[in-house]
Amino acid sequence: MGISAILLRLVKKGAEADIYLTTWDKKKSILKIRKRKEYRNEILDNRIRTLRTVREAKMISEVKQFGISTPLVYFVDPKKFEIYLQFIKGRLVRDLSNKMIIKTCEKIGRIVATLHKNGVMHGDLTTSNFILSHNKLVILDFGLSQRTERIEDHAIDLRLFKEVLNSAHVEIVEPSWSSFLKGYGKIIGMQRKEQVVMQVSVIEKRGRYANVV
Amino acid sequence: MLCLGIESTAHTFSCAVIEKKGKNGKILSDVRKIYRPPDGEGIHPREASRHHAEHSPQVLSECLEKANVKIANLDMVSYAAGPGLGPCLRIGAVVARSLASYYDIPVYPVNHALGHIELGKMLTGARDPLVLLVSGGHTMILAFLGKKWRVFGETLDITLGQLLDQIGRHAGFASPCGQKIEELASKSSSYEPLPYVVKGNDVSFSGLFSATKQIMSKGLETACFSLQETAFSMVGEAVERALSFTGKKEFLIVGGVAANKRLSEILQSICKRHNCKFYVSPKEYAGDCGSQISWVGLLESSKKDGARLENTFVRQSWRIDSVEIPY
Repeated sequence: MGISAILLRLVKKGAEADIYLTTWDKKKSILKIRKRKEYRNEILDNRIRTLRTVREAKMISEVKQFGISTPLVYFVDPKKFEIYLQFIKGRLVRDLSNKMIIKTCEKIGRIVATLHKNGVMHGDLTTSNFILSHNKLVILDFGLSQRTERIEDHAIDLRLFKEVLNSAHVEIVEPSWSSFLKGYGKIIGMQRKEQVVMQVSVIEKRGRYANVV
Repeated sequence: MLCLGIESTAHTFSCAVIEKKGKNGKILSDVRKIYRPPDGEGIHPREASRHHAEHSPQVLSECLEKANVKIANLDMVSYAAGPGLGPCLRIGAVVARSLASYYDIPVYPVNHALGHIELGKMLTGARDPLVLLVSGGHTMILAFLGKKWRVFGETLDITLGQLLDQIGRHAGFASPCGQKIEELASKSSSYEPLPYVVKGNDVSFSGLFSATKQIMSKGLETACFSLQETAFSMVGEAVERALSFTGKKEFLIVGGVAANKRLSEILQSICKRHNCKFYVSPKEYAGDCGSQISWVGLLESSKKDGARLENTFVRQSWRIDSVEIPY
């Protein structure tokens, strides 16, 4: 077993990547590897993994200039589909108490609005992609993010978050959602908020068996 | 308990009798008659409903005969009340209402999507699975939580079944086209790049549909192969996300597209990676059939009374996540 293997500890087998706890330049670090997916056609698989690795590394650093807290990127190896990130100590929003989740949703709304205002959609807004660390909210996982000003794309972000609340936080959907929208509106402005929320219902109606009849 | 289930949501008219003893169900008969549109064309609701109306007496009597059951012996009747094509749904509902009122037996309107899931669970023995429902009408990832099936991911536009059917019809095949596409795909291994659209836990197929039409000139086999690889990988990724988010240890695939071997293979490999048990609905009962409807009726009857005749409507867009499950 090599030295690197001893220092690696698998923290999470995610859907997209495996997450390891390791060190980088003597600092505690998270290593995110987008492993080859055997079931996916190789050409397709390589295209997706390269795109997402590069995009994530770029975006996670770029959004810092809008004042958003993200982990530092220590090192990127697009050939091996690896990213070394700063280790963030804290708890996933998903695992907080219901009361705390409702409260935190307002902050999530502000962060998402800040991203949108600066022309970035996150693409994977779930409650497990936010860490509450020393009272500060850190946002993770920019693999599906995109530069876009389109209302439709911003609405997709909101819809996904709403879907996550509806499926994983059933008991607190209403207060969490309105808390999110409150925060979102404060940053993005009422007019734009209305437009995006309107678009969310347009998307929902496009869905299968939405209440159209 | 003996229940007659009637399915008529889309192209299939089917009657089935299931006997329930305790928690176990036994399918005594399941008879189907499927409407086939002309090659290259899709299902026409009016034509399909005419087909159902014409064949319903024959299917019903054959079903009872095979089960060796008389109508008078039935304890209840259930029908698929939605979601589906209005004209088709109404045929099943009319048959169910007629039997219920003439023979004075309780009638249960049930959700078609729920039928896919519950029958799949009954036949495979899965207890608390993450479910992928893939058919002409659905592409949904669901898990049971707090008395309802919750949607963890779904298609934002057309379904996987529609995607395959529409591409197939564009090439002039007869619907449903899934099998033909699978056959052609298995003859190729050259991949043409196609758009891969995963938005969080959701997928979108409309762009893939247009792009696939454009690469058909490079050969049907290549197009089918690339289409399957791209579409199934998208579904695979969405499932993987939902598995890792919910932490479920069982996975069940149901619906007409469940019969596709390549899709199964992909999902099986995902389950292995996540230490998750893989279940697939038996091919015979993966697609639309009366057994699904009969079984849900039986489950519901353990907790509630039949519907009053004036409440036996059909609901074309009845989403499964709005159904409360009492059992």
